[in-house]
Amino acid sequence: MNRLRGSSEIGLSTSIKVLINRFSYLFFVLAAFGIMLLSKADTFVVEKVSTIVVDVFSPLMRAVSEPAAAINDAVDRVHELANIREQNVLLRRENERLLVWKTKAEKLSAQNKSLQTLLNFKPDSSLKSITARVIANSGGAFVRSVVVNTGKSKGVRKGQAAVAGAGLVGRVASSGYQSARVLLITDINSRVPVLVGQKRDRAILRGDNTFMPPLRFLPVNASVELGDNVVTSGHGGVFPPGLKIGEIIKDSEGGFRVMPKVIFERLEFLRLIDFLPKSLENHTPYDRSSETKVNFQ
Amino acid sequence: MTTMLSNNLDMFAKRSFPVLAGIFFVLISTVPYYIPGFGPVAPNVVLIAVFFWVIHHAEFVPTATVFFIGLLLDILSGAPPGINAATLVLVRTMLVMQSKVFRGKSFLLLWWGFSLVAFLVGLVIWALSTFYHMILLNPLPIIFQMLMTITIFPFFSWGFAKLHQKFLPID
Repeated sequence: MNRLRGSSEIGLSTSIKVLINRFSYLFFVLAAFGIMLLSKADTFVVEKVSTIVVDVFSPLMRAVSEPAAAINDAVDRVHELANIREQNVLLRRENERLLVWKTKAEKLSAQNKSLQTLLNFKPDSSLKSITARVIANSGGAFVRSVVVNTGKSKGVRKGQAAVAGAGLVGRVASSGYQSARVLLITDINSRVPVLVGQKRDRAILRGDNTFMPPLRFLPVNASVELGDNVVTSGHGGVFPPGLKIGEIIKDSEGGFRVMPKVIFERLEFLRLIDFLPKSLENHTPYDRSSETKVNFQ
Repeated sequence: MTTMLSNNLDMFAKRSFPVLAGIFFVLISTVPYYIPGFGPVAPNVVLIAVFFWVIHHAEFVPTATVFFIGLLLDILSGAPPGINAATLVLVRTMLVMQSKVFRGKSFLLLWWGFSLVAFLVGLVIWALSTFYHMILLNPLPIIFQMLMTITIFPFFSWGFAKLHQKFLPID
């Protein structure tokens, strides 16, 4: 009797195991959908967990990215050596042009200073930046972001603007202790308030996952022309005003798009700009000694 | 006793190999390549790895492992968490159900099968991303990404086969 009961119990547990195995995929698919919906509804929890995971894996990401960076440097060096003569001629010409501009700039700067004194104008405090190396790319068809090797330990925080040599790259979307994710201006979730051209028409640069994001909410009477410069307006307080983004181009449907100054796939180092209102500066709990002052004017 | 311990260690190493390989390929997927235009269409090497290991040793790649590899890919790549996890679990389920079709068949049939799977994966990722962002996304990047993945499949498959023979000999 006992043996019979024992064998039926074993049979039952085996069939439960088989059933669990057979339907485990259903559980995991539902779990994946659950996480997806949770990240849509409550970004805080998912963002916190994601930040910790990225932080934990960042040393490995750094190690894996180093050979690619070394190869890229070597290719760049070979390329530079091959074009050294040509580049020398171009640089000499540019130098001559810049010397003319330098004289003009010095004159304008002096004029600007005297006008500021006349108007009793108080300029923005100088911005501070943190340099970070790109250690990971998004690697997805529908995501445009990068991970950098610097985090809260160096003063990186959510919302800081990220710039490369030529212009605005994006903003810090999340920051861990030793890594941070930067959402590029081309990502579908990116919105940047901008000023366009000489007349400084206001608009919103809306990422759409393409390399040339479109301009939205441009005034009807805006006088935008091809080649006009697009810079951050500073509205909303996330980005400092005056950061270069790119130039105006027209798409096949006649809409205005922006050709960014930055080649996003070739990003190696970024500067994360600490654009914090002066009133909040004393509340930042980190050491600012490793930072560099930059001036965008 | 020593033999038992060594057998257990051997089994542990065999079982953990596909997981470690999966994590490695997730890391490889996030490497910045510095090639303009390549990022969004970079091949999905994690899909190739999961396809290969599920076909040859599904028992070493349980659904939970595939789920966590997918979730790790989502988190490290910055994709909405859950998209790759759901997709890879669906791929594993489909491959286990159709294991007889793929096991011991010629490479060309395997490649053809992978092409179909890659096409379906692209479709699912596009549909889930569109649903997540509530915007009709342009499917071209994922189409190119899957074409790239299908193109490099033979090279990775050859590499995996070598690793497979070394660490997980075919039964």
